[in-house]
Amino acid sequence: MSPTEILLLLMVVPFVAAMISFLALRGGEATRKFAIGCHSLSMVLIMILSLTVAGSVFIDGPIQALDNWLYIDGLSALFLSVLGVVSFLTGMYSIGYIGHEYKHGELSGTKVALYYGLFNLFIATMLLAVSSNNVIMMWVAIEATTICSVFLVGLYGQRSSLEAAWKYIIICSVGLAFGLFGSILTYSNAAAVFADPANAIFWTDIHQNAKALDPTLVHISFIFVLIGFGTKVGLFPMHAWLPDAHSEAPSPVSALLSAGLLNCALLVILRYYIITVKAIGPDFPETLMLVFGFMSVAVSAFFIITQHDIKRKLAYHSVENMGLITLAIALGPIGVIAGLMHVINHSLAKTLMFCGAGNILLKYGTRDITVVKGILKVAPMTGILVAIGALALGGVPPFSMFVSEFLMVTAAISEDMPFFTLALLSLLAIVLGGLAHMVACCVMGDKPDEIEKGELSFMTIAPMVVIVGLIVIMGTFIPNQVLHGIDRAALVLLDSDEPTVINILNLPGIVQPTEMLATKPTLAQK
Amino acid sequence: MTGDILINSLSGLLIITSVMLIGSRKAKSSAMLYSVQSFVLVLTFLAIAKSVDAEQLYHWSITAFITKVIALPALFYYAFSKMSDPKADKPVIHFGWIIPIAGVITMASFMAVESVQLPLVEHLKPALAVSLGHFFLGLLCIVSQRNILKQLFGYCLMENGSSLSLALLANKAPGLVEVGITTDAVFAVLFMVILARQIYFKLNTLDVNQLTSLKG
Repeated sequence: MSPTEILLLLMVVPFVAAMISFLALRGGEATRKFAIGCHSLSMVLIMILSLTVAGSVFIDGPIQALDNWLYIDGLSALFLSVLGVVSFLTGMYSIGYIGHEYKHGELSGTKVALYYGLFNLFIATMLLAVSSNNVIMMWVAIEATTICSVFLVGLYGQRSSLEAAWKYIIICSVGLAFGLFGSILTYSNAAAVFADPANAIFWTDIHQNAKALDPTLVHISFIFVLIGFGTKVGLFPMHAWLPDAHSEAPSPVSALLSAGLLNCALLVILRYYIITVKAIGPDFPETLMLVFGFMSVAVSAFFIITQHDIKRKLAYHSVENMGLITLAIALGPIGVIAGLMHVINHSLAKTLMFCGAGNILLKYGTRDITVVKGILKVAPMTGILVAIGALALGGVPPFSMFVSEFLMVTAAISEDMPFFTLALLSLLAIVLGGLAHMVACCVMGDKPDEIEKGELSFMTIAPMVVIVGLIVIMGTFIPNQVLHGIDRAALVLLDSDEPTVINILNLPGIVQPTEMLATKPTLAQK
Repeated sequence: MTGDILINSLSGLLIITSVMLIGSRKAKSSAMLYSVQSFVLVLTFLAIAKSVDAEQLYHWSITAFITKVIALPALFYYAFSKMSDPKADKPVIHFGWIIPIAGVITMASFMAVESVQLPLVEHLKPALAVSLGHFFLGLLCIVSQRNILKQLFGYCLMENGSSLSLALLANKAPGLVEVGITTDAVFAVLFMVILARQIYFKLNTLDVNQLTSLKG
């Protein structure tokens, strides 16, 4: 199969799995089990196919499909591979988590089938958002992610979950209306100056002819895009939906929202960022990215230390990390590499922690850190994994987030921003303090008498163990294939014609991506 | 030139209908005012189509008439018939304040588009400013209402602003673009109404001030 055919298959798989689950809504136990089997197969295929497509793009270059409507370059390939891995991990964890909820009567059979249907549909829309080359379809796909995931957020149908779902759909839809206006302005601007207006809808064509765009409209459209899609990314001050939605959704959905959805919306902003830099220069977009990113980090850091709800703490941590990535992009080539590396590292660590928070919730029936005590004694494996996850999220070595956060600080120093660096380090220290406090409160301490000892199930632990392995590998010896992928993505983001950019890091003991390319046969050669 | 004057005048009428919609107390009247506003938008589409001889815009006008003038107002009217919360109908911001705020928004939008150099909108800058202003009017609608169903009109106003800017700046774009945007927006509103229904029957309120259990 060619990479283009694999990409098309990737789009179809979750959609088919979703339809099967929806058909099982009125079916019996056997039909539901069949739907869950299809869901598992879908998750495995999504991971394999997305990694195959991404690998092919990293080696052979960008691919297009459906008359240029779909386009995968190095940047979207990186996001696609992260989405594929996160979908697989959260999809597998869902089987354990939702199975437990069904067994204990928290969810009916119909809601279980609905869950798997919406979960797959949600992934399908995110895949479309990442792969889209049509700027209007990008918006349609991101808006569709809201529509598909809102009923996942409100799945339990309780007062708090309905409230969270309402805030989610209204804030994101309004935010995305701004994004739509930004998209339309960009498209209209291109259509007005292009010789062939029919191509003005494609990001690749707008990018190629960015210098011909009207500068005023480029300024206005970037502001609208940053506010609009920034709402979905969770950037301050548009983040209000995020803590509510992340805390009230079932934990696998919280993980997918944080590690999947936020990245997809960020990718759209990065697409417009590339166009804007080419059209009007880097000063204006970089300043906006830096301001929104830093404000997100600063505000969320203080919310992290004051929160008593584990999942809300993690949600604010997502705001902080999306802010970190956003500001890193504005810190030159090292910052771009750091930001892209952080996309991978944050997604993995956050998936681990939301799965851990899910296990805690199932075990204790609460997310309040003043109530949850002695996880290490109640469920030792979960306790160890949660402790690792929290320290990893805090940026402690040898876990992967240390590497990317260290690179961000290096980038800030290399850009000659000493006060900014000090402020950033102080905020990172506050965040680490907040997470360490959570570990001290929840993982340590005596076992409450009323809580039964023992782990939940294999499927609630296994995905977490896999993630711990991945974040240790990414923190100690980053595979060359991953570095090469980051390099390809950074080149797209920097709009550079150089063969590589990652060599500026001068990392010890690795094969430079250019050398790897020279020694490795391409798919075409094979 | 006559075409440009007509387009700019109709755009001005859009601002007036938007302000009336935001200030309307009765929920069902709001649905009808939204229909009127959308009808003015369709007329603007037709004026632009005639002015620049854009065949696609005639098709958009038909789509917009079906979805925005008939379907969405009917959906709202039906929703307001089934769900009612008189306490939530009292607005947060008095109508007396809505008018000057809308004036400030319109002026600011005019200033923002002043430096746009595209020949296509050389004589249509008032209409372009109206399309930009609709975003902030939509936002004003959301923050000024307590009724969660009436807040949805804010989103619809924003969507109308987007459609107007698309018609002004890319009036020869493939019809699929407009259809895609409108369909997605209609689905978004439909799902919001379904969620509002769940909230109404579970919590027995449409008042956004009652949805405050999640804080911090």
